[in-house]
Amino acid sequence: MEYSKELLRDLYEKLLQIRMSEEKLVEIYALGKVPGHIHCGVGEEAPYAGTFAAAKEGDWFKVTHRPVSATRLAGVSFRRIYAEILGKEAGTSGARGGVNHICELDKGLMGTAGSLGCDMAVSVGAGISAQYLGDGRIVYTYYGDGTSSRGTLHESLNLAAVWKLPVLFVCTDNQYAISTHESETIPVENPGADRASAYNIPARVVDGTDVLAVYEAAKELTDYVREGNGPAILETKCYRWRGHFEGDQAKYRDEKVAQEMREKCCVRNLEKYMLDHQIMAKEEMDDVEAGVEAELLDALEFAEAAPEPRVEDIFQNLYVE
Amino acid sequence: MRVTYAQALGDAMKEEMRRDDKIIIYGEDVAQHGGIFGVTRGIYDEFGPGRIRNAPISETAIVGSAVGAAMTGLRPCVELMYADFMLVAFNELFHCCGKWRYIHGPEYKLPLVVRCAMGYSFGAGPEHSNCFESLFMHAPGLTIISPSSVYDAKGLLKSAIRSDNPVLFFEHKQLYKVRADIPNEEYTVPIGEAKVVREGTDVTIIAVSLMVTRALEAAENLGKQGISAEVIDPRTLVPFDWETVRRSVRKTHRVVIVEESNLRNGIGAELAAVIQEELFDELDGPVKRVAALDVPLPYNLTLEAYAIPSTETVVNAVKTLF
Repeated sequence: MEYSKELLRDLYEKLLQIRMSEEKLVEIYALGKVPGHIHCGVGEEAPYAGTFAAAKEGDWFKVTHRPVSATRLAGVSFRRIYAEILGKEAGTSGARGGVNHICELDKGLMGTAGSLGCDMAVSVGAGISAQYLGDGRIVYTYYGDGTSSRGTLHESLNLAAVWKLPVLFVCTDNQYAISTHESETIPVENPGADRASAYNIPARVVDGTDVLAVYEAAKELTDYVREGNGPAILETKCYRWRGHFEGDQAKYRDEKVAQEMREKCCVRNLEKYMLDHQIMAKEEMDDVEAGVEAELLDALEFAEAAPEPRVEDIFQNLYVE
Repeated sequence: MRVTYAQALGDAMKEEMRRDDKIIIYGEDVAQHGGIFGVTRGIYDEFGPGRIRNAPISETAIVGSAVGAAMTGLRPCVELMYADFMLVAFNELFHCCGKWRYIHGPEYKLPLVVRCAMGYSFGAGPEHSNCFESLFMHAPGLTIISPSSVYDAKGLLKSAIRSDNPVLFFEHKQLYKVRADIPNEEYTVPIGEAKVVREGTDVTIIAVSLMVTRALEAAENLGKQGISAEVIDPRTLVPFDWETVRRSVRKTHRVVIVEESNLRNGIGAELAAVIQEELFDELDGPVKRVAALDVPLPYNLTLEAYAIPSTETVVNAVKTLF
């Protein structure tokens, strides 16, 4: 498959936006700057980069708590994201929601539920709107292997399938639900794809460290969903590089295995591809990296200087007029 | 025109659907069948499958998807059949409906209505009879409506459908067949306004939903005994019309609250607490609560009737204040 340089550069930038932001969050969390928890998503960038690259402007996205930096791919600025994470009024939710509830509707970014999986049905609702309004939008909704055990996911898949709603379910299988390995709680090998036959919908399983493989499958399933055939499941195989949240030493797993999994790095994989195919030189990649770094530093500076919400505004927006 | 409470609700939906094509309806058995209580009868025939659909038995997905549809351009009015089934979707109602509007700012509107049938209905048993307004009164961000009359049922449902806030709409099963004359011309009833359904001077009875009927019967009975009772129907429990209650309490100095849900931590507990905090000096006695006994509502008809407030228990509660 031939890829344009423009596409590859875009995928590379998307990967770096998530990777570098997630690393930045770990860094500032350690400095005590984050009021909430950081569920670092390093190692799980490709499922987002590959699917967002296959999406069209106007599509809806329901992301998860890991990696929250994926919200950047919907077009939300790092300034707004970091202001929210640092608890400031300038954040996407004025710091009422926080790190796990980054949302910007005019960018297509729907809210995220605190109880995993409850937002799967919410994203199916966006599919109801898209189908009814006939505006050609589709919905990308993300969940993990852990969430695949929630009943609400079953209800959501069932409803989406029977009403043929335009929803692409993207399952990121990172093997762990906090400390519990999926082999203890999930009776199938592929927590996303192996359930698809129950709803009579198509599914693909791809290497979630290969952004091009994710992109290819996402494109194929996106076309299928956008043509009005109903939902589909894209499962991506990854590994959660760090603990469930910062502070989790992840002593429940074999560090040797973890290290082997970290060798399968989606960023390095794409860099190697681009170098091997002489698409981008090291210097050009450095430029992309420098651009992301500059945006992150600017966002951090902005967020740190931004004002806190005022206590007298605490009841604001409880109801709209 | 003379219609039943159920017809009035159906008419409210039809009128609103004609006015605004963003309104859609779904829920279990609501389409061709018209709902198990007949409330959505005729909507499918007029609007077709694009506007009203039967959903799978998936209350969680019904409420969750309504939240998603509401934030992306539609105005869903979904039915959960029995109020008891709200617990299946408790997270979606308490968190997604109640909180997301607030946490995501003013441009984030959630114009959705969740309708359900509540209340005892002669042997429906412990899991098909509950009145759950008080459970959801605890959740910030929700609007909670519980109409007791045919007129209010129609006018409030129309207001609920037009609201950009998520609304839980509790219909009483025993009221569905009640008939009354309502205006032929279009009207709405504003959210957040209580109604003084009977004026009086000696005691204020605040009653919710079906219990308004019991309170009115009790007031008639008390009148014969020389006690003049004022009956207030809050109609909307959240936001609550405190001004109407304050005005009444300043006049009567005595309060009895009547509800069909369990006594403990019920609607009456909250109202009584606020009344004694704000109007302690106005009160000539304790605020009395009349509510269902704190047991799962039994199936047996004698036990069921014993557990639910009767006209007599309301009368007796009022008389303890004199």
